[in-house]
Amino acid sequence: MTYRTASIIAYVVFFAVVLALPLVLNSFWTNRVAIYLVYSICAIGISMSWGYAGILSLGQGLFFGMGAYMLAMSLTLAVPENNPVPQLMLLNMEPNAVRDLCCVTTGSFLWIPFRSIAVGMIAGIVVPCILAAGIGYVMFKRRTTGVYVSIITLAFALIGQMLIVNNQPLTGGFNGLADLALLEIAGFEFDPYGPSAYYAVAFTLIAVILLARYMLTGRIGQVLKAIREDEARARYLGYDVENYKLFIFCVSAGVAGLAGMLFTLTSEFATPSLMATSLSISMVIWAATGGRASLLGACIGALIVNFVGSLASESATFQPVWPIILGLLFVFVVLFMPNGIAGIFKAFIERSGNAGKAEGFAETKLSAREV
Amino acid sequence: METFVIGLSIASILFMVALGLAIIYGTMSVINLAHGEMVMIGAYTTVLATKHLGFNIYLCLPLAFVVTATFGLIIERTVVRRLYGRLLDTLLATWGIALILQQLIRIHFGLGLFGIEIEGLGSDLQNVPVPAELQQAIRLFGANIPVYRAFVFAAALALGAVTWLLMFRTRFGSQLRAVSVARNTAAACGINDKRVNMLAFAYGSGLAGIAGVLVSGFKTVSPDMGTPYVVDAFLVVVAGGVGHLLGTFASAGILGEVQSFVATWANDVYGRTVLFAVVIFILLFKPQGLFVTKSR
Repeated sequence: MTYRTASIIAYVVFFAVVLALPLVLNSFWTNRVAIYLVYSICAIGISMSWGYAGILSLGQGLFFGMGAYMLAMSLTLAVPENNPVPQLMLLNMEPNAVRDLCCVTTGSFLWIPFRSIAVGMIAGIVVPCILAAGIGYVMFKRRTTGVYVSIITLAFALIGQMLIVNNQPLTGGFNGLADLALLEIAGFEFDPYGPSAYYAVAFTLIAVILLARYMLTGRIGQVLKAIREDEARARYLGYDVENYKLFIFCVSAGVAGLAGMLFTLTSEFATPSLMATSLSISMVIWAATGGRASLLGACIGALIVNFVGSLASESATFQPVWPIILGLLFVFVVLFMPNGIAGIFKAFIERSGNAGKAEGFAETKLSAREV
Repeated sequence: METFVIGLSIASILFMVALGLAIIYGTMSVINLAHGEMVMIGAYTTVLATKHLGFNIYLCLPLAFVVTATFGLIIERTVVRRLYGRLLDTLLATWGIALILQQLIRIHFGLGLFGIEIEGLGSDLQNVPVPAELQQAIRLFGANIPVYRAFVFAAALALGAVTWLLMFRTRFGSQLRAVSVARNTAAACGINDKRVNMLAFAYGSGLAGIAGVLVSGFKTVSPDMGTPYVVDAFLVVVAGGVGHLLGTFASAGILGEVQSFVATWANDVYGRTVLFAVVIFILLFKPQGLFVTKSR
């Protein structure tokens, strides 16, 4: 069996399992797994920018959180009591302010477009993309690379989180946006605990994987990998390194924004903690555990880490130890399996395929790339 | 004037944390995200030593240095040593270590699982008593200057001086500088670069521990207190220019004052926002840092 066949089988099995799961899960677990699949989409975003282009963004939570907030704003306004002005603004307004969305609190006019659900859903992808384009343009045109990119994105995420916490009259502050309406499109209501929201997430996940794979196995993916391996060489070969990096950074932000919207759909809230440093770094770890340069691996990494994590938090003995296990997992993955689960899978397939001529098999450290 | 002094004390803490980070990052190209946890451990050493051993805050300074330097030594020997040359991976692995250390404090080093609780540990906030002579304020140029803040500033200056002496007037210092400029050449000249790494990591961690003792005097101590420090300190290091003691000193001063003045003028959140904005600006337009010399 060649590696290519094996990976196609792996994809098909994964899709089949994802689609079949709601048949055997109760409503609580349907919701939980839907959230893990949302995290998988985040991990795919990381894998695209980090695994393929070598851009390690530690601010992915910023884009994730923005996506979540965009949809949550629309869904807040969809609740009847929040018309014409959301409760959270009434609680925080000046005593004699006009009770209209245009000017009830400072900046509340920003909410006006979100009366339309469609605007919220489009903004959930477009706004993170635009923000990423702005950040990325300045960073990459200045030829900022490596760890500086990580630190700058981290700082942006921290700024975003602080601004949201601080502007309580506009954003709901620390508590974020809760008590949301259910998303309803053309009369069809998405129930977070039922199969409808689950399948919305699952089909989005599959679409994202297929599109990303289509894109990254093509020319763009090859150029990005060239940039990852040696940026200067790619530049001398005539590729416009900055624009390629900018492109994948924006796409990755858009994917994170999309995941953020689906998070709002399945968990029914958006809080500033979605932009916390710890979540951004966790996303990187999910991708690293599964295999940073493997879309499917990153997905599975996110699923496994979150699933085990929630099992651990169910039990009173394991709950306090879980962060320690997670920390050890970080260290272990970085030290001993830099290509994650996907790397092990690839090594296994190639070894069994080359059983007779095992001598010729010499895997370099970073050769286990896309599954 | 009060704002300026508050800024000075913010800058002093930043400087002490950043100094350790600068040595570690400058010498070994390791981004130690567990550095903030060294501040946290320094603070908890103070909490425990004042509660159980009756130490005052002065005695805690050397104690915390030894404790955190030991932690640093262990981290270097077990994990960081295997990751030289893989910058981004050190970032991830040390974040894992940071998680572990925080949780160890929360669960009383694991004893909490067996129902044994040590007073001073756990997830609660802790406070450290400050000696009476440090609680007063002196009047200077028509402003009230809290003695504690002056003490913090003096400590930072002293540590800066000690580090400078260590770096430029001792054998170890010249080895350290040789390794950070050209590791292989230095090793070829007979310098034991592994040992230099180890000691530099321990010393840097120890500095953060001392910063932790001083922080515990005016802030509440909690297991997750370290994270903001490591981010700020890293920004200080890169803004000042990696591997430049004076650059780190100056950029800590500038950033501390910026934060303090904006925080007084608007609020704390904007203080930090402007701080980040300034650093991002510096990074984008002078990626080598503000004070880097052109000689190399």
